[in-house]
Amino acid sequence: MDTSSPSAFVNGSLMRRYIGQKVRTVIQVVGSDVGSVVGKSTDDLQIIVKGSPPTTTTPSTYLEVIGIAENENSIRAEVWTNFGNSFDPVNYNELCKLANGEFKHLFI
Amino acid sequence: MFSSSQFEPNSAFSGGGFMSSQPYDSSSSSSSTTKGLVPVTVKQINESSHSGGEKSGIVINGIELTNVSLVGLVCDKDISKVTEVRFALDDGTGRIDCKRWVNESFDAREMESVQDGTYVRLNGHLKTFQGNKQLLVFSVRPIVDFNEVTFHYIECIHFYSKNSDSQVLENVGDVTQSHTVNTNQATTLNPVMPSQNSDGNGRKNLDDMILDYLKQPACTARQQGIHLDEIAQQLKVPKNKLEGVIQSLEGDGLIYSTIDEYHFKHVEL
Repeated sequence: MDTSSPSAFVNGSLMRRYIGQKVRTVIQVVGSDVGSVVGKSTDDLQIIVKGSPPTTTTPSTYLEVIGIAENENSIRAEVWTNFGNSFDPVNYNELCKLANGEFKHLFI
Repeated sequence: MFSSSQFEPNSAFSGGGFMSSQPYDSSSSSSSTTKGLVPVTVKQINESSHSGGEKSGIVINGIELTNVSLVGLVCDKDISKVTEVRFALDDGTGRIDCKRWVNESFDAREMESVQDGTYVRLNGHLKTFQGNKQLLVFSVRPIVDFNEVTFHYIECIHFYSKNSDSQVLENVGDVTQSHTVNTNQATTLNPVMPSQNSDGNGRKNLDDMILDYLKQPACTARQQGIHLDEIAQQLKVPKNKLEGVIQSLEGDGLIYSTIDEYHFKHVEL
């Protein structure tokens, strides 16, 4: 696992700022395919994550994905963490906004 | 349940042991040391500076810290030594080396449950070792409810912003008039808090600013003194704010009025 460079907290709409860079986000699984997972970001935008997820990706599970943003709605994942079913996306969404706004210097 | 400061309930809410509403008559070095457990990101640690002087304390946001709380992923776990477990913590903002002494079976059991790729909550001492920042960890707990991850970062933001506000009031002089002017000054002239706080003395109160301006050779050379309007314009402070401060400076014998009551010069000793 190589997470040596900092990763920016993003939601669906913030991802376009970090295309080509390492990002981290949480998605709610909507469906999965061979080699990719389709999910909903914390601000209700569709995100496609490429890579092989951990085994338990049932729909409505939250997954944290750390990887490179390929374009504004897809990530090539390097690290997956299962965040369970009781994760609060609203809080995370607000954190993304703060971490990219006023308090960006604490994170990146 | 998620609070990292459960053993010190005041520290998370009162900015590490001091509150901005308390009157300040202690010296700045004693009032800026916190004994609480402070939530931080690795980036904040990496950007922190050494406090000067006898202690090898590390300063973040103008506060000398020893105990910090972090949340992140464990990487590079190394158990080659029997009494010591070393690993790196990656919280998305950077990486920091961590060391955990394993002397009792409790410690060993705690570390077994922590593997590479596990999200953990760490509490530890911040130390600098051979130029690198290192964490001497005394508590490691795997995270089970991932809302704690969101919570930790928000707590870091909260502590930081609470601290920035109290930093503004910390540099207040004894004159109450300059107290209210000071916070105004801080917001109008110094909008970026972090660089101010890491300097520690980057912000001057209005008294000093007026004196500095009047002490300049260009000003002292002018026989008739400097008009109040000009001071207001140069310092970018409204005249009404200046008037009270000018009066007190005059009363203290630091400036005097010259050709009329609106022209002032610095008293040269």
